[in-house]
Amino acid sequence: MTDTSYDMEPFNLQFPFTRTLGSTLSTFFSALTTGQLIGVRVGGRVIAPPLEYDPETGADAGSEWVKVGPKGTVSTWTWVPQPTNLHPLRTPFAFAFITLDGADTPMIHVVDVDSPEEMERGMRVEAQFKPEGEAAGRLDDIVAFVPAEDPSPSEGAGEPYEAPADPTVESMDAFCDLTYVDNAAPPTRVWTQGLREGKLLGRTCPQCGRTFVGAIGLCCVDAIELDESLVTEMPQTGVVTNFTVITPVQYHGQQETEPFVRCSVMLDGTDAVLGQQSIVGIPASEVRVGMHVELVWKPEGERDTSEIGNGGHGSTGDTVEGWKPTGQPDEPAENYVDRMM
Amino acid sequence: MPRTENDIAIVGFAQSPMLRRSEHTETEMMLSTVQGAIKEANLTKDDIGFTVSGSCDYLSGRGFSFVANVDAYGAYPPINESHVEMDGSFAMYEAFVRLLQGDIDTAVAAGVGKNSNSDPETLYTIEMDPYYLTPLGADPWSLAALQYRALLDAGKITERQVAEVVVRNRASAKDNANAQVSGDFDVDELLSADYVRDPLRRHDLPPITDGCAAVVLARGKRAYDLCERPVWITGIDHRIEPHLPTMRADITASPSTRLAAEGAGAGNGPIEVAELHAPFSFQELVLTEALGLGGDTAVNPSGGALAANPVMVTGLLRVIEAARQIAENGKHRTLAHTTSGPCLQQNLVCILEGDE
Repeated sequence: MTDTSYDMEPFNLQFPFTRTLGSTLSTFFSALTTGQLIGVRVGGRVIAPPLEYDPETGADAGSEWVKVGPKGTVSTWTWVPQPTNLHPLRTPFAFAFITLDGADTPMIHVVDVDSPEEMERGMRVEAQFKPEGEAAGRLDDIVAFVPAEDPSPSEGAGEPYEAPADPTVESMDAFCDLTYVDNAAPPTRVWTQGLREGKLLGRTCPQCGRTFVGAIGLCCVDAIELDESLVTEMPQTGVVTNFTVITPVQYHGQQETEPFVRCSVMLDGTDAVLGQQSIVGIPASEVRVGMHVELVWKPEGERDTSEIGNGGHGSTGDTVEGWKPTGQPDEPAENYVDRMM
Repeated sequence: MPRTENDIAIVGFAQSPMLRRSEHTETEMMLSTVQGAIKEANLTKDDIGFTVSGSCDYLSGRGFSFVANVDAYGAYPPINESHVEMDGSFAMYEAFVRLLQGDIDTAVAAGVGKNSNSDPETLYTIEMDPYYLTPLGADPWSLAALQYRALLDAGKITERQVAEVVVRNRASAKDNANAQVSGDFDVDELLSADYVRDPLRRHDLPPITDGCAAVVLARGKRAYDLCERPVWITGIDHRIEPHLPTMRADITASPSTRLAAEGAGAGNGPIEVAELHAPFSFQELVLTEALGLGGDTAVNPSGGALAANPVMVTGLLRVIEAARQIAENGKHRTLAHTTSGPCLQQNLVCILEGDE
């Protein structure tokens, strides 16, 4: 059984991106938008769809284009009984190796039939293209292959293909969509519970004596575990050891409008900084390295640790307003060097 | 055969528990495993000349996770460190080559994979050829099933033989304390299960596993200083086929495995045990054929990848299991194999030998 009790909120990693195609794939996908499938003749055979190189030798495959398909022959297949949103068809379908007429190597594509009983090695299939004007220069411009009504060889397959001087398709849009569910590791659970209770918790390495603060259960110098028996409450005062002033640019999710500070705070008596901390009470322009600060918590009911992952060792999530200057004289640099950043 | 200063041996190894869902981060899994292997070799972290790991940020979903994982080495004062976005056995290959330079005599190689954070069906589909495969959602199960079907149609294997592979591996895994899947199963019952991707059934797929493994290597006579019975790596080779399965001359064979085995010198003597990385059950039969293994070789006494499949670690586990046969079970010559990529695209073969 899987213990899901420490699972965090799902994290959705989504981003669009565009790939350039290069001359060979541009030629192939440009031809595809007109309903013409092509391969490239290299090393005495026709590779379809074409590659820029001969996979046997690594040699440049050149540009001796050859018309292939639209009919072809299935050499192996499998059945997808429950398609996912990544698949091109919503109903059960087959994936198959299809060697297009005029080609010597197969391609992988989908075959749209009602049941696996209709699939067999050697069956003749035919490409069904998207209607003219809807083609985007992607492999799914072939909606699917279907059993060929007339199994006779494709007309024109094997003939040379004259590529237009300027390809119409030179890039391909893609979208990354991945979902992650991490779980809060034991040191993360201890740290976030402390934050919700208004405590900063740390662990001191019994070997080197360094004190680490945050969601961390090991000494990264001695490479030993620091177990929960070593957890103690840390002071809530410290020194700014580094900072940056960020001028916000507006992007989706950005809530800041004015320049703001993110700084590292070394708690008094510890050896590892809390990173990405905010400063309150003074303008960004007055923040200094060496400045003594003290923690200002959010009210107890408003402390949210759900954004704290296992990665940000010292992150305080949405539990604090920030750090305000105490007014003490600044600490000389030699008193806070040689620490864990 | 007398050993020279250019001979490299495994002198310690360790692995974490193999779990469907570990509560630990990759770094935490690595800390106990890497330091455990170093301790097993009677060394401390400061004795290690070179450190290398294999992992993939996209598994745990944490950018630069391999950098955070360096915390597990105790990397202060600074160490010599490297990383491969591949199975830990390829990291071990890098450590092996690094040791051959002759200026250091110890190295540690690890693999770690927090696989439970992501969905393999989605993740590996996005990792396929971005022009010709990913737009079709060509998922790893479908690609494996296309290979399996080709083997059936070629008359090379039967579904019953494949079910027997599953039964044998799961039964063998009963003796493997780290196995995630094990037990006694009936061939006919397995054959009555539904297809996930015809002809692949659910039991033909590897489990999803979180885990870590590490080995310590030593060069020349240092190996004898550190352990009583070093496991010598007498040959290691890695061969790669085209990434598009459709570009292979024969999808039912594994020529890269055969070439890697030749390169590693597999044929120079009998092989008592072979630990094969076959993520999909039927691939064990392809590998057995490519390696020319006969009845004298015990295949996957650990249960193989069907018993536990921490991606980025499974191959290094094969090395550890093959080494264990020499270090602990009195065997003299064993083989470890790792695969990577769709339909057995990449294959690494490693020959391990103990002294007579």
